[in-house]
Amino acid sequence: MLRAAFQVAFVVLVGALLWYLLGNLRTNLRVSGLPTGFDYLDRPAGVDIRDSPFRPSQPIRDAIVVGLVNTVRGSVVGIALATVLGILVGVARLSTNWLVRKGAAVYVETLRNVPVLVTIIFMYTAVVLRLPPISRASEWLGLIVFSNRGLVVPWGVAGTGARAFTGVVGGAFALAVIVGLWRSRRFDETGEPHHRVLWGGAVLVIVTAAGYVAFSRPVTLTLPTREGRIVQGGIQLGPEYAALLIGLVLYTASHIAEIVRGSILAVPKGQTEAANALALSGFQRLRFVVLPQALRIMLPPLANQYLNLTKNSSLAVAVGYFELTRITGQIIANANPAPQSIAILMLLYLALSLLISLVANIVNRSLALETR
Amino acid sequence: MRSGVVGLLTLALALALAAAGCTTDGGQGAQPAGDVAPPGGGQAAQQRQERNLLDRVRSRGELVCGVNAEVPGFGFTDEQGNFSGFDVDYCKVIAAAVLGDAEAVEFRPLSTEQRFTALQAGEIDVLSRNTTYTASRDGSEGAAFVTTTFYDGQAMMVKADSEFQRLEDMQDTAICVLSGTTTELNLASRFAAGRIAYQPVPFEDNETLQQAFEQDRCDGWTSDRSQLAGVRSNRPNPAELRILDEIFSKEPLGPLVRDGDQDWYDAVNWAVIATIQAEEFGVTSRNVEQMKDSDNPEVRRFLGQPGGDDNTVFDPGLGLDPAFAVDVVSQVGNYGEIYDRNVGPDTPLGLERGLNALWTDGGLHYAPPYR
Repeated sequence: MLRAAFQVAFVVLVGALLWYLLGNLRTNLRVSGLPTGFDYLDRPAGVDIRDSPFRPSQPIRDAIVVGLVNTVRGSVVGIALATVLGILVGVARLSTNWLVRKGAAVYVETLRNVPVLVTIIFMYTAVVLRLPPISRASEWLGLIVFSNRGLVVPWGVAGTGARAFTGVVGGAFALAVIVGLWRSRRFDETGEPHHRVLWGGAVLVIVTAAGYVAFSRPVTLTLPTREGRIVQGGIQLGPEYAALLIGLVLYTASHIAEIVRGSILAVPKGQTEAANALALSGFQRLRFVVLPQALRIMLPPLANQYLNLTKNSSLAVAVGYFELTRITGQIIANANPAPQSIAILMLLYLALSLLISLVANIVNRSLALETR
Repeated sequence: MRSGVVGLLTLALALALAAAGCTTDGGQGAQPAGDVAPPGGGQAAQQRQERNLLDRVRSRGELVCGVNAEVPGFGFTDEQGNFSGFDVDYCKVIAAAVLGDAEAVEFRPLSTEQRFTALQAGEIDVLSRNTTYTASRDGSEGAAFVTTTFYDGQAMMVKADSEFQRLEDMQDTAICVLSGTTTELNLASRFAAGRIAYQPVPFEDNETLQQAFEQDRCDGWTSDRSQLAGVRSNRPNPAELRILDEIFSKEPLGPLVRDGDQDWYDAVNWAVIATIQAEEFGVTSRNVEQMKDSDNPEVRRFLGQPGGDDNTVFDPGLGLDPAFAVDVVSQVGNYGEIYDRNVGPDTPLGLERGLNALWTDGGLHYAPPYR
C-alpha cells in the first residue's frame, strides 16, 4: 500500500516537474519574443540538400523528412554491415589459426578504443578525401567510376511498366519463400534433401526474368560515364556517406565482435564436444551447433549496439552528411526556433530507437528457449 | 500493458529532458541581465532582473565576447595563442568603452550554428563574429544588430588553374560552403536564379571545409569575400587560388547583442560608432592625448573634455564614461587603424577600403553626430 503511494507520488512529481519546465519554457520564449509554436515548419527551408530532389522552396518539414530518411539509410546499412563484420571478427578471435586470432584481437582493441568521431573524421579526411580527384577518377570497365566525389555504380532506371514489374519482383520473393518453406517441410517429413536455397533462388530468377520479358524491359541499366566534373548515370555513393558508414561499421563491429566471442564462449563446452563426437567439420560445428545457441545469448546486447549505431550516426555533422542532426542544425541556424527543432529531433531519435527495441524484442521472444 | 507504461514514462522523461534543455536557452534569454551560469536563489534572481547587462558586465569586470577562431584577419588565434583579428578588436573596443580596459575580455570561440543559441542563452554578452545583419535574424533570433563594422559581399573562390571565370561557368560543380550561414542561402538562390546546377557540400567548420577544398572534393568555395581573402592569404602559396569578380550578395557584418536590453545595446552601439567618429576627426591611438586639447569643440566634446561656453564635460547619458572614446582609441585605435592592422592593404589579406571607407571618402561608414 505504502509502496503504491510512493509510486503515485513519484509519477505526480515527474508530471509536475514536466509541467513546470514546459510552462517556464513557453513563458520565457514569449518574453523574449521568440516563437512558441510549430508554424515555422511550413516555411521554405531555403537550403539545397545534396543527392536529393529537395528544392530550397520546399517547407522545413520536408527537409526534416529527408534528414530522417538519410539517417535511416545510414543506420540500416550500417547495422547490416556491422553485424556481418562483427560476427566474422568475433569468430576469428576464437580461431585456432594464430595469425587470424591475433589479427582480430588487434582490430578489436584498436577500433574499440578510439572514439567513433575520431574514426569518422579520420576516414573522411585521411582516407576518402585522398581518393583520386574527379579529374583523375578511376573508371573500371565502364561500370564503376571512383573518385573522392563518390563511387558511382550502374543502376536501373525505371521505364514504362516499372511499377508493375516491382510488384512482380515482390511476388517472386514471396513465392521463393513459400517454395523454401515447402521444401523444408518435405525435408522434415520424408528426409529427402531440401535444397531450399536452390529452389527458392530458381523460383526468384525465373519469375523475375519472365516479368522482365513480359513488361518489355521495364528497367534499363544506366552505366556511369564521366563528363568533365560530373558523372552521368548510375547511382552515387557520396564520400561523406561513405566516411560515416565506414567509421560507424568499423567501430560498432569491434563491439559486436566482443559480444559474439563472449556468446560463443558462453555456449556450454559439452555442445562443442558433442559436435566433435559426431565428427562435424569446424564449419558445421559452428553453423549448426554453436552459433544458433550463441545467437540467443548475443541478441540483447546486440540490440544495444544497434541503438548505439543509430544514435552515433548523428556524428555525421562532422563530415557534412545530410542526416537528421545536421539538417536540424541548419534549420536552427537559419533563424528558426531552436527549442522546438531540438524537441522534434529528440522525438524522432526516440522513435527510431524504440522501433529498433521493438523489433529486437520480437526477435528475442521468438528465439527464446521454450522449456517444457 | 507493463511495457506500454514503461514506454510512456520514457517518452515523458524524454520530453522533460527536452524541456529542461531548452529552458537554459529561453530561460536566460528571457532575462536580459542573465549572466553566465547565474547563482541560484530567489534573491539573486530578483537582483538579476533589476540590473541590466551593462551593470552586470561592470560588476563582473569582464566582457564575454563570442568570436570566430578560424578566419584569419577577422577572428583567429595567432602564433602566441591570443585571439586576434578585426572582429576580435571590436570586442576590445566594447570592453574599453564599458570597462576602461581593452584586455578585460573573455573570448568564446563559436561555430556558425552555435552562435545564436549562445547569444539567446546569455552565454555571451556580445557576438562579434562576422555575422550578417538580416531581417529574420533581427526578427526571429532575438538578436539586435548594432552599427555595421564591415560591409562585405559574397564571392566564390576557385583554384587558379581552373577554367571558371564567372559563376555561370560553374555548371555541374560541387561547391563547398559553411552551413548555417547566409552564404548557404545566397548560394542556393543565386545558383537557382542563374539556372546553374550544382551540389552543395556544407561543413560545420572552416578547417574540414578547407581540407575538402584542397583535396578537390569541391570546385568552388563560397563565403564572404573578406573571409575568402583571409583564407587565401594564409595559404603557403596564395597565387594557387583565385577569387571570382562577381559579388552576389550584400553582407553587412557587425556585432550584435540580445534583444530587449536597450541600455546595453546603446553602450555597445556607441562604442562601435566612436571608432568611426574618431577616424573622421583624425583622432588616432598616437595623437589622442594631444587631441584632448584640440581647438575643435566637437573633438573635445567627443573625447569627454571640458569645453563649450560653460566649460563642462558632455555626457550623452549612454551609461558610459564621458571619456570612453579616449579609452577606445588609445587602447584599440580608430576604425582606420583597426582596419589597416587586421585586413588592410599592408596585411596578407590586402583588402582595399572600398565600401568600408568613411563617407567623406566615398564609403559607407557614417557616424551619427556626437552631441
